[in-house]
Amino acid sequence: MPTRRLSEFVQALRGAGLRISPDEASQAMDAAALVGYARRQRFHDALAVTLVKQQQDRPAFEETFARFFAAEDSGVDPSGDMEPAMPAPAADPASAQTPEEQQAEALLASTPEQLQQRMAQAAAEMDFTQMEVITQQGLYSRRLLMNMGMGAVDDRVLQLDQGNPSQQARAEQLRQWRARVREQAAGQVRRQFLLHGVGKGRALREQTLRAVPFRDLREFRDVQALVRKMARRLASLHQRRMKTSRRGMLDARRTMVASIRHDGVPAKLFWRRRPPRKTRVMVICDVSSSVSDAARFLLQFLYAMNDVLPRVRSFAFASRFDEITDDFSRYSPEVAVGQVLDRLSGSGTDYAEMFRAFQARCERELDAHTTVIILGDARNNYLPDGAETLQAIRRRVKQVWWLNPESRGRWNSGDAVMDRYLPHCRLARQCATLNDLERVVDSLLGALD
Amino acid sequence: MKTRIDSVEEITRSFAGQGYICSEQIALAIYLAAQLHKPVLVEGPPGVGKTELAKAAAAFLEAPLIRLQCYEGLDESRALYEWKYGKQLLYTQLLRDKLGGMLADTDSLEASMERLGDLGEAFYSDTFLEPRPLLHALRSDEPAVLLIDEIDKADQEFEAFLLELLSDFQISIPELGTVKAKHQPLVLLTSNDQRELSDALKRRCLHLYIPYPAAELEAQIVATRVPDLDARLREQLVAFIQHLREQDMKKLPAISETLDWARALVLLHADSLEHAQVADTLNLVLKTEQDVTLARELLPAWLRKLGKR
Repeated sequence: MPTRRLSEFVQALRGAGLRISPDEASQAMDAAALVGYARRQRFHDALAVTLVKQQQDRPAFEETFARFFAAEDSGVDPSGDMEPAMPAPAADPASAQTPEEQQAEALLASTPEQLQQRMAQAAAEMDFTQMEVITQQGLYSRRLLMNMGMGAVDDRVLQLDQGNPSQQARAEQLRQWRARVREQAAGQVRRQFLLHGVGKGRALREQTLRAVPFRDLREFRDVQALVRKMARRLASLHQRRMKTSRRGMLDARRTMVASIRHDGVPAKLFWRRRPPRKTRVMVICDVSSSVSDAARFLLQFLYAMNDVLPRVRSFAFASRFDEITDDFSRYSPEVAVGQVLDRLSGSGTDYAEMFRAFQARCERELDAHTTVIILGDARNNYLPDGAETLQAIRRRVKQVWWLNPESRGRWNSGDAVMDRYLPHCRLARQCATLNDLERVVDSLLGALD
Repeated sequence: MKTRIDSVEEITRSFAGQGYICSEQIALAIYLAAQLHKPVLVEGPPGVGKTELAKAAAAFLEAPLIRLQCYEGLDESRALYEWKYGKQLLYTQLLRDKLGGMLADTDSLEASMERLGDLGEAFYSDTFLEPRPLLHALRSDEPAVLLIDEIDKADQEFEAFLLELLSDFQISIPELGTVKAKHQPLVLLTSNDQRELSDALKRRCLHLYIPYPAAELEAQIVATRVPDLDARLREQLVAFIQHLREQDMKKLPAISETLDWARALVLLHADSLEHAQVADTLNLVLKTEQDVTLARELLPAWLRKLGKR
């Protein structure tokens, strides 16, 4: 198997979401050269050892491997499922005069195997890696046919159509043959699309998902995976920051004691470790119908970051207010979100009532290490706003953040009273897409350190 | 150290000879690591034989095994080398008179400085360097197998510090300069997945994931390690362990626990999994009270099913 085929495989893996550096790719080639291609399982294992660096990438690798090397198993040629006994109409080289006609007849005279080879060659000369969306397939298969020299055959058909009845009959035969070759070309292109285009498409799709408003996001299937991925990235980023910021001042006592051994020379310095931070995050989510989609994603995101945000307490309210931390510690976020929405959702939010309930339940636990995050649209149904309770809460905690799923322009329209709450929030942001959410959580972690 | 490895099968055979039964993937990873001179990052749940793998590899390659156990707060003075300031100071004190004598016949400050300068080398020499595992591995006279155990327990900074070693088999020491490996060691890193390792580290290593063994492999392992166990009982035992692993346990039983249990059953002269005995020895396999309770509940039904077959 040529190196080229392997690098195409690496390309396909990248498309499937694996991160593979050039160095790793070249390791894979060394490994493949070492174990040989004869034993499929071993070849597979060698690639897995060199290319898959985390267990969660494993399924993607298996799937791509199966798809990519399936063609090799079924036949000699990777170009696939061409029926070997394709009835090519009899060539008629004698009738060809111009070079184009001779080219057409030569193509017709080739055996199915030769034709297959020719298609594979033509495909090899083309760059399929640029394919992004499914509608490009027609364009690519036309290009493939042209590269094979099928243009000459098209001309020949037109030319024969003009001739006597026997020539016209032959033109009909040629048309049927051509249709079949076209089908095969389309099949070839479809396979290439599955290898390259799907991956490209995925990257494109991820970009889209990140920018789509939460309300429409529920329609998509792989959002959960994306949320987890984003959370993991943020978590590992902040884990590092947390570690480096933890070293504190010089521990003079220990340094002096140690220096006695060295005649008073402080050869080794000791540092005080800053005690682990006691930050606590309390999230209050409006789960009434207008905001529940945003709440779902915010909670999922926060709970996916358990390693860096160990002490999250969450509350939800719509018509009722209740703590939902337990739902999340017991069930997976997907299940928990559904449960909470079932239990509490409804219409008619009363923010003043919510503030009072929160204060009554948690006042004793609010301290200077606590951050309170409120997610809601501040639509209060023309009830009293209760801003003074929010102010009282704010006085006891480190900071209050407000996330609003609506755009800033609508924060005070209708029954929304963001203006009344804004003075008590250190930060207020629009939070309508995954991108917004990522930014918010990122700055949250930064503010906690 | 063995320099030529003919085939993957040779590794599998040698490992089996030592009582380490492994799947082909594991042998292949060791083969590739030795041939491509790349470190291997071994991941998997605790107790599947990651550390054992390093021991088996060392025995197979006829190389010494140098082990570095990682923990939180591990720093280079524990891993690489320590500068013995105390000894250096002591030497200076003891040699004070001698130094005075040597410098006695110089007439100017410059001349004394110059003479001291000549001696300077002696004060920054290997005498005052206490080598730790990593330096041992680099300076070893024969190629060694270096096991960096539980890298996920060490801090992120330590991980970054290892990068130079893993990619170029060299390490920079401020007092001595760059130390290059005399012979490239075979490096194995193990991780229990306590935290995500950095991409930079993963990129430099081959990656091997050791899962819990399939029933067949596990039976083979038990047969090799506990040959006294009755064949029928062995099958029952392995089947039961595999069944436990499908349950929602806090800590799943690993191979080491299977082996402990097998040994206990041999001691108790058991010839089949009877309810009373199984229930009494379950705490060898399961390490939390919750799991033991759950397993006790499952047991009767499972034994009944087994009896029917």
